[in-house]
Amino acid sequence: MQFREIIRQALYSLGANRLRSALTVMGVAVGVFSIIGVMTALEAVNKSVETGLTSLGANTFQIQKYPATVFGSGHRRNQYINRQDITYPQALVFRKTMEGKASTIGFMLSSQANQAKYADRTTNPDVVLTGGDENFSASNGYPIEKGRNLTTNDIRYATNAAVIGSELAATLFTQGENPLNHSIRVRGEVYRVSGIFAKKGAAFGQSQDNFLLIPITRYLNHVKESGSINITVEASSRKTYSRTLDHAVGSMRITRGLTIREPNDFEIRTNESLIDSFRDIERAISTGAFIISFMALLTAGVGIMNIMLVSVTERTKEIGIRKSIGAPQNSILRQFLLEALILSLAGGLIGAAAGTATGNLVALQFNLPPIFPLLWITISMAVCSAIGIGFGLFPAWKAANLNPVEALKGK
Amino acid sequence: METSPVITMRDLKRHYSMGEETVKALDGVDLEFLKNDYAAIMGPSGSGKSTLMNIIGCLDTPTSGTYILNGQNVAEMDDDELARVRNREIGFVFQTFNLLPRINCLRNVELPLIYAGVNPREREERATEALNRVGLGDRITHKPTELSGGQIQRVAIARALINNPSIILADEPTGNLDTATSQDIMEIFSDLSKAGNTIILITHEEDIALYTRRIIRLRDGRIESDKKQ
Ligand SMILES: Nc1ncnc2c1ncn2[C@@H]1O[C@H](COP(=O)(O)OP(=O)(O)O)[C@@H](O)[C@H]1O
Ligand SMILES: [Mg+2]
Repeated sequence: MQFREIIRQALYSLGANRLRSALTVMGVAVGVFSIIGVMTALEAVNKSVETGLTSLGANTFQIQKYPATVFGSGHRRNQYINRQDITYPQALVFRKTMEGKASTIGFMLSSQANQAKYADRTTNPDVVLTGGDENFSASNGYPIEKGRNLTTNDIRYATNAAVIGSELAATLFTQGENPLNHSIRVRGEVYRVSGIFAKKGAAFGQSQDNFLLIPITRYLNHVKESGSINITVEASSRKTYSRTLDHAVGSMRITRGLTIREPNDFEIRTNESLIDSFRDIERAISTGAFIISFMALLTAGVGIMNIMLVSVTERTKEIGIRKSIGAPQNSILRQFLLEALILSLAGGLIGAAAGTATGNLVALQFNLPPIFPLLWITISMAVCSAIGIGFGLFPAWKAANLNPVEALKGK
Repeated sequence: METSPVITMRDLKRHYSMGEETVKALDGVDLEFLKNDYAAIMGPSGSGKSTLMNIIGCLDTPTSGTYILNGQNVAEMDDDELARVRNREIGFVFQTFNLLPRINCLRNVELPLIYAGVNPREREERATEALNRVGLGDRITHKPTELSGGQIQRVAIARALINNPSIILADEPTGNLDTATSQDIMEIFSDLSKAGNTIILITHEEDIALYTRRIIRLRDGRIESDKKQ
């Protein structure tokens, strides 16, 4: 029998049991939805992560009080909160002990949620105020676009020079205005704009350009005395990177007065460590999604088997009639297999569409172009086919092997 | 000359084992049917008529004995060969009609052609022609549920005819019909017989059997009499 005929018949008999077919299709759809949705979302986050998390320059790492889990939901945070801050004096000692072992060592300290003012313009309270030094620009991947960077003199004399991010510049100043040498006000302090950073773009849906950098010495004197300093260390080359890292850990331990038995009370953050910690979370989420998918699909598969068995029972007479007019076994087999396959593939398609849509809502959140998870859709369709055929096989086999005389009696 | 029989049965037996007991539904049947035979199989309920019909129609196979259909030994065939024979050589008409209720007359009638691999255009032509032959040319898009019993049985006859089978088998084709309609249906069978078809039907009504040219009487799984009329 021609394929087209079988398809027509399959659609027909599925249409005759709409509700039951729909429920089964739903089951498959849920399974596929969860995996495609999560995978699409993760891919979106992933793209953001790769640009956003490799924010440190090459051969650069940071030393800080807290680990780099941007995603840290406060879990195990207590373990870190009791650590002493990395103070400015400690940072200076550290730099001294590291002399000659690193190419540059920079300090920084930030406070969130500040408002900046210029003339009659005021920003939203979402500006980051960072105290740092002349190394900030290179170590964190912010080239100077206009004006000048902070200088050692700015640090030494705690001047009121500020280098501002491109977004802050765009908010405070109009197109025609040159922000350089204008005075802006943050937290009641006045700063003179000495330079503007090049635009970096968003990561995780958040702008990375809405900030200003002032000398760390001024920050400690005028903004906040406390706070743990972030130390950025740049090795002179890829070759010396790990040696520099070892030195840095040693120096930091000495600076912090740790005995040989005590573990590090600070964290090393590298581009890799950031991405690794993200990967851990990603792995946990996708494992969860796989488990949910697996269970949903397994349930749906059993559902398909059930609906097909019921269908075979209900249509025993039809099978008998078809056999009496010459339907060979494999045509009956194919007919029921195809019905199972249509059920599972329909569910798969719906799930894939819904999953892709939902995943893309996440992509939208991160200002990313739409993502089409072709690989996962292909895999899902293959799995759905396998489920349809796998769970449909027994009912179809049963139908194909019915005794025609008995089947005609409708038993 | 067409003298070689379409069907030859020798010492045909069909036993059902029901636990301890064995039901001998057919217990040594010898029969021959020639081309263009028009025969009625009669006998009391339980005498083995349907069992015989199912074996002739290749829906069932004998426990022992030989059954030669058009020179082929049916007892040696596997399921798919039997299906092929049912498709090409046999046209069934049942007491309970056995049409697929959800598809229209045309689709019902063309069904055997689908399994024979005939293309859609030819299928439709031949199905329409078969429906015309049984006088239902104006009902092709109706579903069986929209027709009377007599009309449904005519659709079933059209389906039985469509593949030009060697034999048309009818198991009590008028069993569910009133007298007038039964006569209409028997007229159709008689016409088909005149057109050269081989027809075997089961009935327990004498006046239905009178339409045929040969009456075979069964009792307890054996042939009691076999008379031409
Ligand atoms: N599947 C079966 N299993 C057991 N016994 C059967 C089966 N089919 C028919 N029989 C028995 O075989 C005998 C002949 O049945 P059947 O051919 O249907 O008779 P008829 O059609 O003449 O009424 C009956 O005794 C019936 O009970
Ligand atoms: Mg009977």
